[in-house]
Amino acid sequence: MKQAAGPRPWTFYVFASFFALFVLFLYGPMTVIYILSFQGPTGGLTFPMTGFSFLWFHALVTAERVGDIGGSFQRSIVLAVIVAVLTVVLSVAAGLAFRRRFPGSGVVFYLAIASLIMPGLFVGLGIAVGFQLLGLDIDWYTSALGAQLTWTLPYGLLIMFAVLGRFNRAYEEAATDLGATPWQRMREVVLPILLPGIIGVALFGFTLSYDEFPRTVLTAGTRNTLPLEIWAMTTNVTSPALFAVGTVTTIVSFIAIGAGLISIAVIQRRRTRGTGQPM
Amino acid sequence: MKALPRLASWLQVAPVALILVLFFGLPMLVVVTVSFFDYGQGRLYPTFIFDNYVEIFSSSVTLRLYLSSLKFALIVWAVTLLIGFNIAYFLVFHVRTLLWQIGLFLLCTVPFWTSNIIRMISWIPFLGRNGIFNQTLEGAGITSQPLEFLLFSDFAVIVAYVHLFTLFMVVPIFNSMARIDRSLIEAAYDAGAGPWRIFSEIILPLSKTGIALGSIFVITLVMGDFFVVKTMSGGQSASVVSALSNEISAIQYPPAAANAMILVAIVTLMVSGILRLVDIRKELIA
Amino acid sequence: MTRTVEEKHKRKIKRRQVLNAAAVGAGLAVGSGLVRGFPTIWAQNIKDIKLVQVGGSYSNIVEIANQATKELGFTVEMQAIDPDAQTNRTLTQPKSIDINDLGTFLLYYFVGRSIVQPIPVSKYKYWDKTLTLFTKGEYADGRKVSTQGTSPMKIQYYDSPEGKKFSTKPTEWLSGIPTMFNADTLGVRPDLIGRTVDSWKELLNPEFKGKAALVNTPSIGVMDVAMALEARGDIKYGDKGNMTKEEIDKTIKIMLDFKKGGHFRAFWTNFDQSVNLMASGEVVIQSMWSPAVTAVRSRGIPCTYVPLKEGYRSWSSILCPMAHLSGMKLDAAIDYMNWHNSGWTGGFVARQGYYSTVPETAKKFLSADEWDYWYDGKPAAVDIKDPYGNLMEKKGQVRDGGSFAERTGKIACWNTLMDENRYLTRRWNEFISG
Repeated sequence: MKQAAGPRPWTFYVFASFFALFVLFLYGPMTVIYILSFQGPTGGLTFPMTGFSFLWFHALVTAERVGDIGGSFQRSIVLAVIVAVLTVVLSVAAGLAFRRRFPGSGVVFYLAIASLIMPGLFVGLGIAVGFQLLGLDIDWYTSALGAQLTWTLPYGLLIMFAVLGRFNRAYEEAATDLGATPWQRMREVVLPILLPGIIGVALFGFTLSYDEFPRTVLTAGTRNTLPLEIWAMTTNVTSPALFAVGTVTTIVSFIAIGAGLISIAVIQRRRTRGTGQPM
Repeated sequence: MKALPRLASWLQVAPVALILVLFFGLPMLVVVTVSFFDYGQGRLYPTFIFDNYVEIFSSSVTLRLYLSSLKFALIVWAVTLLIGFNIAYFLVFHVRTLLWQIGLFLLCTVPFWTSNIIRMISWIPFLGRNGIFNQTLEGAGITSQPLEFLLFSDFAVIVAYVHLFTLFMVVPIFNSMARIDRSLIEAAYDAGAGPWRIFSEIILPLSKTGIALGSIFVITLVMGDFFVVKTMSGGQSASVVSALSNEISAIQYPPAAANAMILVAIVTLMVSGILRLVDIRKELIA
Repeated sequence: MTRTVEEKHKRKIKRRQVLNAAAVGAGLAVGSGLVRGFPTIWAQNIKDIKLVQVGGSYSNIVEIANQATKELGFTVEMQAIDPDAQTNRTLTQPKSIDINDLGTFLLYYFVGRSIVQPIPVSKYKYWDKTLTLFTKGEYADGRKVSTQGTSPMKIQYYDSPEGKKFSTKPTEWLSGIPTMFNADTLGVRPDLIGRTVDSWKELLNPEFKGKAALVNTPSIGVMDVAMALEARGDIKYGDKGNMTKEEIDKTIKIMLDFKKGGHFRAFWTNFDQSVNLMASGEVVIQSMWSPAVTAVRSRGIPCTYVPLKEGYRSWSSILCPMAHLSGMKLDAAIDYMNWHNSGWTGGFVARQGYYSTVPETAKKFLSADEWDYWYDGKPAAVDIKDPYGNLMEKKGQVRDGGSFAERTGKIACWNTLMDENRYLTRRWNEFISG
């Protein structure tokens, strides 16, 4: 953290403005969603606003008029969390495996690449046919989970390549020299260093699953995930409840992120106070 | 001593391999088989014919579809790389605390937790002929007539792709850059290297893995998309997969399967081209 | 939330009791040599039955499922799904569906494959009250209805109890229970056009260059254009709903010329796109679903579902029990289907602008004013509300196209699956990419 001292170079401001523009670009069209989610009772998905109401947020909980948005939203969140956790655990393990040469590594690697490329509709179709042949029931937490993992695992694995690349083995060796067991070495040396990367993998797993359509559409069974429900609803009058989902997820994520960051900051401050050392 | 690490690798990679074989490999065997079938109105005839492939290669549409998809892939790749690299660079080298890094990074991810479909719908009131953007331009006196090319055009498709996929470039490049040892840069600085040399001889080469991975992500995403093209071009443009999805809608699995096989072959070639330039696995073993 | 959990819990307990009762009952029956107590077990078991109906979001609505569950004593669940996914799922996962709410023409994909099963006419209560349009292929006045495209009569009857093939003559075996239908036409913005539009040929009028749109579904998009081409006198089709390869080639060629000349602003894929295109004024004439017209109008923007002299492109929906249903579950499915057409649903969907195939049952569930507006084409005597109580049309409005007889009396063709669908899909892909 030696860099932290001193004034910021002029390039900082250039990059910071670029970043600000990018964020503006990301959120620009989203503002339409946020505003229209407060649409009046007779309003639709476009301007003009016919009034101001919380009706569409209320509709999310009552599951009337708008299809099963509430239920599918819950299912999607649960599924996305399961996918994210599995993706993190399995791709970290697989990523570590690739740090050694082993027979079959090429096969697994290219299987992952092919899985990334194959149009999702086919993955779903193939799995649906497979389950039918084996007489198994499809459901969002079985077949759809598997289908989504064929999509998130390649991402997780490849990101681990970036995370583990040029990982300094000296830390691990030092730990071993100090008598650490492999598990201790893993938990106390390797994982903390990889943490930011792992957060990245988890976020990817979550988002990719939460938004997945082509692989899920034929494998989800009789209860829809959120993208399926939304897509089905777009064949008919769609209500601003769709936008309310967007507003709710945004607000909830901001609260979660804010709370997370503040707690980390508090912990850091306490630690520094405890040791009595400046940052 | 040698067998043990190999066994460890196998055990570590086993769950991923198992899932991929069960949920991807096996179903794909079915797809390969089906690509040689004959078909009628929603029916499959288990034969072994090459007609589906012959039809694809003899049709002028195929080439047009691939050119269209490749054009999108190339443009989107260049734009997302430019943006993604600079965003990652800013986060890694200009943002000084880990807390801010994570915070700003998450700020970029929040819009992704709103469903793609909803976000696509939101572009229409934004970019349309009488949309917010056009009204702003006209209001400011910049244009006197609404710009038509903003929506239902290749431009709209590219804007949406960049909006959706830049994050896929940022994440791997960020992770690669974060691994660059700061002392290396300081040493170079102390030795009198200018910013350009530090960039071209340290930062760029050491971000290579991330760039390669981001490129793989973006290119495979664009090549595999049908939803964005269909929605944002207003059906005026097609992609390889949008044509394929029309076939699946019409229950014409065999030609769609043949199409998918060819797509996988071509994109795998593109990916292995990238991997030839940057061997992302080498740095792991080091 | 908590209530449903509680209910589930109760149901579980009940099921256990029922199982015990069944075991005891079986023991008694064996012991006494008599099979008794069967009806009571049946009565309790039917509560545990759950039927899953799958179909489009315009008719698979939570409110309908809840009403059915309330009135029938077993659970009906509805899953809204997009039509492409529905076809694919019916073929690859038939057991994940109990009752299939299909666009009629989709039956061509499923016939003779043990996916759906026939319903004996005797089990359906309302067949003699059903419109002759569906039972005989005739209007009430005895005129024959157009057979271009998949007219209901082509797929309504099976030739045998096995249901392997369709019969074009009435038989004792129904392929399913027709539920609702409508007559579709073009949507226009009268304020932006400023004159009357009364023919399909206006869809291709150069006056609307860059302001026309089509639905991005090959069979429907091509048929809308075919209506226009026929009205212009460019092509005379044998059957617009079942074109020959030559007819497809000719049509696509002309469409390509129009597309290259920038005639079409967009090819929309979903409801909201069509609403947005129209509401924003990007497009002034296009293929459209009737609720989309209403959605534009409810925003205070004038939009008309214009009656055109060449007639309407019609469509209908049909409920089919899946082949895997048997025993009590099949009985429940038949009960449900009978309930479905007994009026409540007919009234519900009428308020979205759809016609019931058994209007006289639906009539009981509509107020006289509503009936006059939706079915009789009279000016609305009161404000017309949608099924959820929102204002749809102001007092004094007349339904576009007029009365039931006027609108459905002029059906020119039916939504369809062509024999040359394979070729059409290929050419449509060329059209979109060209």
